[in-house]
Amino acid sequence: MPTALDRWFIDAILVHEEALLRYLQRNWPHRDELHDLRQEVYARVYQAAGKGLPQQPKAFLFASARHLLADRARRARVVSIEPMGDFEPSHVLVDEVSPERWCGGRQALKRLAEALDRLPDRCREVVWLRRVDELSQKDVALRLGISEKTVEKHIAKGMHLLAASLFSGDLPSRDGAPAIPEHDDERRRAD
Amino acid sequence: MNGDARTDAERVAADWLARQDGGALAPADAAALEAWLGADTRHRVAFLRLLAAWDESRRLQALGAGWPHAGPPPRGHWATPAHGHGIASLGDDAPPLPAPPDLRELRLAPRTHTARRPAARAVAALCLAACGLLATWGWQSYHRVESALYGTALGGIETVSLSDGSQAILASDSLIEVQLSRRQRRIELARGEAIFDVAKDSRRPFVVDGGDREVVAIGTRFSVRRDARDLRVVVTEGTVRLQSPAGGKRGTRPTTLLPAGSMALVRADGVLVRSIPIADAERLLDWRNGLLVFRDATLADVAAEFNRYNARKLVVADADAGALRIGGSFRWDNAEGFARLLERGFPVRAAYAADSIVLASP
Repeated sequence: MPTALDRWFIDAILVHEEALLRYLQRNWPHRDELHDLRQEVYARVYQAAGKGLPQQPKAFLFASARHLLADRARRARVVSIEPMGDFEPSHVLVDEVSPERWCGGRQALKRLAEALDRLPDRCREVVWLRRVDELSQKDVALRLGISEKTVEKHIAKGMHLLAASLFSGDLPSRDGAPAIPEHDDERRRAD
Repeated sequence: MNGDARTDAERVAADWLARQDGGALAPADAAALEAWLGADTRHRVAFLRLLAAWDESRRLQALGAGWPHAGPPPRGHWATPAHGHGIASLGDDAPPLPAPPDLRELRLAPRTHTARRPAARAVAALCLAACGLLATWGWQSYHRVESALYGTALGGIETVSLSDGSQAILASDSLIEVQLSRRQRRIELARGEAIFDVAKDSRRPFVVDGGDREVVAIGTRFSVRRDARDLRVVVTEGTVRLQSPAGGKRGTRPTTLLPAGSMALVRADGVLVRSIPIADAERLLDWRNGLLVFRDATLADVAAEFNRYNARKLVVADADAGALRIGGSFRWDNAEGFARLLERGFPVRAAYAADSIVLASP
């Protein structure tokens, strides 16, 4: 279903999420906005790439991030954010996760195992049954004695948490607001 | 432009994806999803990000392979040393080692080398060397014989210290039986390859029995490798003697002396000895450092070499691809990385499956 542009976005951009978040974190004083900034950077990159794929995706990603921060700073009249002026891609390279680390190989499996283990119990069980045992959502519901709707909600939550672990090394869940707080309550009740 | 809007986009995206995961969307819903995705790029990127994570999670199957129970293993299952080792030592997408070895299943391997060995069995024989020391004592013509069996699973390398001070490094999927008596040190290489670092002991020759031939050393370093068809001996230090076993059925063959820097290939029809620089000889043993080193080798040979170490096999689909010449050193535990490298620099297309990587001409 994903288009070529979608694929490019996943392969060339999302792999840099951890580095992007670090950059945003270093250069933006408001932790609670990181999540929002990340999303905005992605939207800008995706939009621009629709007109022509950048030759150097990573450099383009970080340039977009820098522009966005500059726009926001201007609007918020935040005067001093010096590190931004010093930004050079090479600074990012230092602690950047190499795409290969999660694109392939045993590191990816290790990371995935860790991501799975970070899920709450029920959610972990649902994701496993669905992904590894390949049960349908309906069969998962039967197996666990919960409603299909609840299974669906666990899956939605699992996607969120897996994405956070896999792409951002869990930075946003520590620093940002929980992604779907209102669902958490429902699930706790469901459990 | 507040944070809530964005959080909202992720929540809605997750809800759509979870619904889609439950079954195909009704046409009206599919249209609603399309409309939502088209309404704002932020919607689309949030959707793609979660979709990518969910797709990636399919690889959990690789972790689940070998877990015999329904439902997930306990938390931290893959972080424990035994299983962590599984992830660390197997190639990409290879199933992790399922459980610690059951020593009740320990048994002597058949001496004839069978060409195909199910990966499952190799895994079951996990770390025979690490934990499975089968020592028996007996009397044999007035001598006490100390005997032990060491083996490695596919993808494993083990260093074994023998009680005479010698050392053996076992390559992937290899098995040796060691018998040390007062008169002789005798090692049977049942399968695979091993590097021997022999402690000097002029009264007890160190004999490696490779089936058809014996390799005799006093104090030296060499490797012996046993394939279905041939035996390969590489000497990096000292001198070894290649000879027929005493009382061999097929009559005696000439004894060959192999100095350091020799490589001998023993086949049914004879022995081929090549003299190579010692550095090259050392390079042939680089697998002990995790590397496979090739110089102008055919892709077919390179693939076969990788396959000695990995459950996920490199399959060469056509003769053109198989004839490509490859040089360089590669980590043997990263067949996928090797395939990707090939795709970049050679006219080769790779198809990645869970248990194989098929290499074909485009």
